[in-house]
Amino acid sequence: MSRPTRIVLIGYGPVGARFVEGLVAPVRAGSIELTVVGAETHTAYNRVLLADYAVGRADRARLDLTDTAAAVEAGVRIRLGESAVAIDRDRQSVRLDSCDTLPYDRLVFATGARANLPSLVGLEAARRDRRSRPGAAAALDRGPEALPHGVVALRDLADADTVLEAVTAGRRIVVLGAGVLGMEIALAASERGASVVAVFHGDIPMGRQLDSGGGRALRRAAHDAGVTMAPHSRAESLQFRHREDGEEHFDALVCADGKLIEGDLLLLSCGVGARTELAEQSGLRATSGILVDEQLRSWDDPDIFAIGDCAHVASRSTALPDGRVPGGPAGLIGPGWRQADWLASRLAAEVSPAEVATLSPGDRPLVVMLKAEGIDVVAGGNVSADPWDESSALETTLWADPARGTYAKMVTRDGVLEGFVAVGLPRAGAELTLLFERGGELPEDRSTLLRLDASDAGAAATADSHAPDATVCWCNGVSVQHILTAAEEGATTVEEVGACTRAGTGCGGCKGRIAELLAQSAAPVATR
Amino acid sequence: MSAAPAAADTHCPYCALQCAMSLTVSPSGPTPVTVAGRAFPTNRGGLCKKGWTSAELLGSAGRVLQPLVRRPDGGFDEASWDAALDLIADRLRDSRARFGADSVGVFGGGGLTNEKAYQLGKFARLALGTSRIDYNGRFCMSSAAAAGNRAFGADRGLPFPVEDLDAATTILLLGSNVAATMPPFIAHLAGARAAGGLIVCDPRRSSTARLTEDGAGIHLQPAPGTDLILLLGLTHIVITEGLADIGYLESRTTGFDAVRRSANVWWPERVQAATGVPVAQLRAVARRLADGRGSYILTGRGVEQHVDGTDTATAAINLALVLGLVGTGRSGYGTLTGQGNGQGGREHGQKCDQLPGYRKITDPSARAHVAGVWGVDAAVIPGPGVPAVELLAELGRAGGVRCLLVHGSNVVVSAPDVSAVRAGLEALDLLVVCDFFLSETALLADVVLPVTQWAEEEGTMTSLEGRVLRRQRALDAPAGVRSELWIMAELARRLDAPSTYSTVPSEVFDELARASAGGIADYSGLSHALLDTGAAAYWPFAAGTRGTPRLFLDGFAFPDRRARLIAVYPRINADAPAQVGGVLTLITGRLLEHYQSGAQTRRVPELINARPEATVQIHPATAARLGIVDGDIASISNARGTVEAMAEVTINIRHDTVFLPFHYAGSQCANLLTEAAVDPVSAMPEFKRTVVTVAALRAVPAVVAGAAAAAAGTGAVIEESEYV
Repeated sequence: MSRPTRIVLIGYGPVGARFVEGLVAPVRAGSIELTVVGAETHTAYNRVLLADYAVGRADRARLDLTDTAAAVEAGVRIRLGESAVAIDRDRQSVRLDSCDTLPYDRLVFATGARANLPSLVGLEAARRDRRSRPGAAAALDRGPEALPHGVVALRDLADADTVLEAVTAGRRIVVLGAGVLGMEIALAASERGASVVAVFHGDIPMGRQLDSGGGRALRRAAHDAGVTMAPHSRAESLQFRHREDGEEHFDALVCADGKLIEGDLLLLSCGVGARTELAEQSGLRATSGILVDEQLRSWDDPDIFAIGDCAHVASRSTALPDGRVPGGPAGLIGPGWRQADWLASRLAAEVSPAEVATLSPGDRPLVVMLKAEGIDVVAGGNVSADPWDESSALETTLWADPARGTYAKMVTRDGVLEGFVAVGLPRAGAELTLLFERGGELPEDRSTLLRLDASDAGAAATADSHAPDATVCWCNGVSVQHILTAAEEGATTVEEVGACTRAGTGCGGCKGRIAELLAQSAAPVATR
Repeated sequence: MSAAPAAADTHCPYCALQCAMSLTVSPSGPTPVTVAGRAFPTNRGGLCKKGWTSAELLGSAGRVLQPLVRRPDGGFDEASWDAALDLIADRLRDSRARFGADSVGVFGGGGLTNEKAYQLGKFARLALGTSRIDYNGRFCMSSAAAAGNRAFGADRGLPFPVEDLDAATTILLLGSNVAATMPPFIAHLAGARAAGGLIVCDPRRSSTARLTEDGAGIHLQPAPGTDLILLLGLTHIVITEGLADIGYLESRTTGFDAVRRSANVWWPERVQAATGVPVAQLRAVARRLADGRGSYILTGRGVEQHVDGTDTATAAINLALVLGLVGTGRSGYGTLTGQGNGQGGREHGQKCDQLPGYRKITDPSARAHVAGVWGVDAAVIPGPGVPAVELLAELGRAGGVRCLLVHGSNVVVSAPDVSAVRAGLEALDLLVVCDFFLSETALLADVVLPVTQWAEEEGTMTSLEGRVLRRQRALDAPAGVRSELWIMAELARRLDAPSTYSTVPSEVFDELARASAGGIADYSGLSHALLDTGAAAYWPFAAGTRGTPRLFLDGFAFPDRRARLIAVYPRINADAPAQVGGVLTLITGRLLEHYQSGAQTRRVPELINARPEATVQIHPATAARLGIVDGDIASISNARGTVEAMAEVTINIRHDTVFLPFHYAGSQCANLLTEAAVDPVSAMPEFKRTVVTVAALRAVPAVVAGAAAAAAGTGAVIEESEYV
């Protein structure tokens, strides 16, 4: 038997962990040797739910994703608290900060992303130097100094603990950035008792996903939920106060228009950037992520792959003349997991041939859904279309009822969604998501979808339970008309009706209604 | 045989609820016996339309009353029993000699009595020496059975008496339309409905889903095939919101950690995006189930008949275990068995991998025990065969089954991908069908053997709650009709089979009881005489005990007494075609008026007149897009076949789904479309998620279409042929 294929995975976050799970079987069978290098010291956890953890809605156990012990038991070598610092692509080996080198046949990047720090006066020292080299991975994510006291970017468990403390104490939290993550933490913290201000540049929150109408609907819903919304706010600097222990502590955010937004904690939610330094240093091209083709293979090295937040999936042919490549990492967990599953099955198939699903991990449309109790916002695709643009091949359907907090936009081409927004319409939002992800054709009458959330949704098609064809006895399929006929023909008791129609002779649940019908049919006679 | 009594207390011939009924012989009446409902905990004297009309089949004009043997020109001739049985025995012996014992196969049914099901398994293994036996229960109960066995160590559909449901305040019914399939059962939902706690999960707003209206509960309407994700989502919420019963999990189960992790990745918003069920509904259901006032989770074929059916049933069990419901006496999990003896039929040896008492055929001690009861050397009992879909796929193939005996099953209507099944049956050297009527399968047979109906025979049935019930004879069978016990005994004698084949049901039962002793489904303390006292006999009922109305109260059927939580993972179906044009998802199910393949109910005038042909349910918005008007004939097609059915335009179905009942034959047979893809654990076929293209057939005026349907043998009352 030939020697096992050596795979090295760099990064043990949710996507890396999923990749490991997909390879446990061939590792156990001895056909693959898998080594995982993870910079964090704890096992992979679910960052998607970090906001829930940060407000005390989820405990640590809920963030568990994977059975690391089982993977280790199967033979996966997991090296936590270690960092890859260099890759020798000629020798096919990875050097670690411990100076160990790991030879590989296949190398997979799942290095994920780090939080962006905005360029604000007062944060300069905390921003990482773009020129820093991957000497020690931990240093790559930080600037020369730590973030000031009272400033946090929600990216790991320690950050979440800081937020949790502020939420628990009912403090005033300033959230800078109102993307989906910013809005989720703002709404969750507010619901859990903190006083929250959401500060953002534009007119609407979730500006990358929502159109103006949907954004305004969310803005209003968030306001009604108790979050102070501060649109059109261009933050410029931080103002500090001196605590009793002499340390500087965040005090207020100063905006370009001179507005001062005070708070106890500044929570930065300004997006993330892929960790690409190690790849770039090794001569692999990267833009906003490591460039990989539809097979998740690096543009520059057939033995190297990237998945998840660090990967920019794009066909080589999409590169523009100036070298730029449109698109970027999805920034969502769903595509990352799909990529991990697919790549694991593909690499497993190299050692024991199996069918691998054809998949183009890059071109799946993305749906973003706000995780917030009582506020339903979901959107996907291109939602910028103008409903009145007759030159466009796109059709747009709009529904807006601001006073009751509902809004929907459906942008279709040949009846299939290219984009949609649904606010305050949970059933419609869920169905639109399914239709969008599956490429399904919308009902000709678009209002059918809106009506899923109508107050009378679920009501009987024939609301009149006394209509002649309304069913009375389900067990025996007996209608109102059958019973009235029986009454006309002389049946006067429930039992007699049962004897000639079988109504009421099954589960018996309709005997009351039969009696009612008998009383009604008898009444006119009595008054005559 | 003694003369039949003038009256008998028995149970309905149809579904697993086994409603109690009394039969009174009425020589001058319209039917040979008169049916009356009888007080019993399950049906409380009530019957549905099928039960009330069941006696119509006894004297039905289309009944086969003599053995029929195929003529070379294709028609049937009546034959004497001796001639028919000699012919069969000769052909079987010849096939065995030339092609080996496994060239003969047996296909059983979940409607057979325990005695027949047991004897059939024994007959196949000893008289035919074949491993090739399986049955139509593979199409209904195998996934839930597999899930129950791996979680609890035992599979009894409801591990509690049905009337326990009366006291529940919350009942989650997943993929089951009981209001149509076993109507008297809905009386047991009354308590939950009154408490606002009936939760029905179904892509259709079925009659059962409509029982949730007016504040009686919640209807969840997920996209077909997403039930597993829905259940993981509910489990996620239960764990997250601190509603899990940690004490129960620690003391009575193993495996929670893996299940917790598997559910962690299905947070509510992700579940909503995959299923179409809003987060708020998911939370409401999870909280309701956990409110501690008596909650039950019940599954049906809607969630089980899938390629991931075992995992889906497992996910439902996991949810019940995480909530601490199972084996507590006031809450629980159960699966609603469908066929009349779907429970007993899966316990006593009709399954390819099984010996009586729910024993494994691969277990040496089980083989030794059963061989002892049969008086044979364990080595003569063949090993495991292949499950139903695989068995049907090898019909007529080189090295496959060449002769098939079919008992109580109509496979050319009920199996997936029936065109392929028909081709397999036509390729056989010999097809023998035991039936009351010339069912669609019998019409393909070389020999048809007429057998007794329920009122003409006695035996036992095991109901959906694992209670063993007596079927009592009220009537003598017509002169040319025989019991299958007699047929097996006669064939066994002709084949010089080892062991004995009694024709007396009580003797067969006693042997079954001995064979089951010490097994999971232990009947050893039971006898016809004991059952005749009216004892409420729930298995396991070991000799010297009084049975087990409620299983698992003091532990599960594993050596450590703990239930197994088994983490399950949805398979991502990336290859599903886009639902554009007329591409929709087909689901199938039952109507109130019909039962299974319709072989019986399509012959009852009142039932067929109420539901003369298949209609396809489609949402008005979808119908409008496709130019289909209510009452139009629509074609529903895919690579395997085409069904033509009248469109029933209704808001009671999702806009991306169409529904066909599976009771019809010919060009209206829903299983022309279904695929023979199976669950990897249970070998259950995928019946509830078929990709089809729906189109209007405007060119066909309704009148002509009706005539065409009738000509194809699907419409109106089945006119029984002379034997042409």
